[in-house]
Amino acid sequence: MRKDFNGMKVIENWSFSVGKGDRVTLLGPSGCGKTTFLRIVSGLEDFQGKVEVFTDKIGYVFQEPRLIPWKTITENLMLIRRDPDKMASLLEKVELKGFENHYPWQLSEGMKQRVNFVRALLVDPELLLLDEPFDALDLKTKMKVMNLLVDLWQKRRFSIVFVTHNVKEAVFLSERIFLLSGRPSKILDEVELKEKARDFTDEKLFGLEKMVIERLLSLLR
Amino acid sequence: MKAVFGILLVLIVWHLLHFLFPSSLILPGPVETFEVFVKILNRETFEALLSTLLKGLVTTFIVIAVGLPVGFVMGISDRMYEFLRPLVTVVQAVPVVSWLVVVIFLWGIGWQGPVVISSLSLIPVAVFTTVSGVRSVDRKLLEVMKVYRVPRRTILKEVYLGSIWPFVLSILEVSSGNVWKAVVMGEYLCGDRGLGVLISWARQYVDVPRVYALTIFTVVLGISFERSVKVLARRVWKKWRLS
Repeated sequence: MRKDFNGMKVIENWSFSVGKGDRVTLLGPSGCGKTTFLRIVSGLEDFQGKVEVFTDKIGYVFQEPRLIPWKTITENLMLIRRDPDKMASLLEKVELKGFENHYPWQLSEGMKQRVNFVRALLVDPELLLLDEPFDALDLKTKMKVMNLLVDLWQKRRFSIVFVTHNVKEAVFLSERIFLLSGRPSKILDEVELKEKARDFTDEKLFGLEKMVIERLLSLLR
Repeated sequence: MKAVFGILLVLIVWHLLHFLFPSSLILPGPVETFEVFVKILNRETFEALLSTLLKGLVTTFIVIAVGLPVGFVMGISDRMYEFLRPLVTVVQAVPVVSWLVVVIFLWGIGWQGPVVISSLSLIPVAVFTTVSGVRSVDRKLLEVMKVYRVPRRTILKEVYLGSIWPFVLSILEVSSGNVWKAVVMGEYLCGDRGLGVLISWARQYVDVPRVYALTIFTVVLGISFERSVKVLARRVWKKWRLS
């Protein structure tokens, strides 16, 4: 797959596959086409080449919350899928119970971003796209949301494609990491993580993070 | 308080100008005008005021009822925009006197002329404001709708219509400030009753102080309506925190 913007190459010949139930991260610097890739997969962007998506049940957690400002949280979510029970359960899991009738401007950025997560999970996705969604969250909430994702993934085994430049988040959430170069970006290497960290304080996490950073630095040298 | 000082300043400047041009035929003084203003506070004037008010409300309704859907269609479809733009531009450019001929031939002297003339002079503004509203819809919200396969009808209703609300309020604000001028002018040219007709009669009798007093009526009516719409608009803005 390739993608140019006004003649400038952004993505150069990426080729990889993500199977059902896989958790994959694209790790690369800003501007290397990570978000563009998610936009292509979700049908928001044209491109050259071929992308086959195995499902149309896609949940997309955008980088920013993208909520309709004149609608309450419930109205925003009901627009996507009318399932009050599921909505209530997910809102409770992300600690937003009681905020159903609030407008987006009444919530903090972190709370809005959690609504963004709920919206993506509400559709029972078979493919979940995550576009650097944790930046607006504080550490405690970030861990909570990440654990929620892992729990849900263990139950439902949906595929996750996560793009980020944060190595720790990548290591925690995925099983395979594709290391990307700067623009025009290429896939430099694929790292498979056989071990998994339990949480953000697990020593394994630091070891895996160090390993990925060292691999990345050796490739960029 | 500032408004009171502003009005006082207008009265002082008016009085000074009257002092320089002491003829009532050119510029009657504020005292003389106020005396006439009190004198014309009668049934005839209030009936005229009511007639103008009704025409103004009907015109505002027509402007919204025509301008909004036409602007909406032009905003969401480039083809419709190219198709309808020349017509709206022509309507915008045609001078009022040219409409006058058509209106008098069609309806003669009556309430229709002022309503049609003032509607035609305000509809193009409403259309183009709505087009801007539709085109300024947040693309990011549309992308969310696309990813989650929200039906087009729901998108039109929930996202587009919601997005153009501020522009509807803006149309109301602009119209509410201008509609009275347009209606009174229409009445003056081809109306059978209303403040414009009274102004026309006063002009024929060269009763300049009466023209001024009636003009004050129109200004008060216009400002009151515009203020009311602004208060309403501010409440909606506040609710959505969009301002």
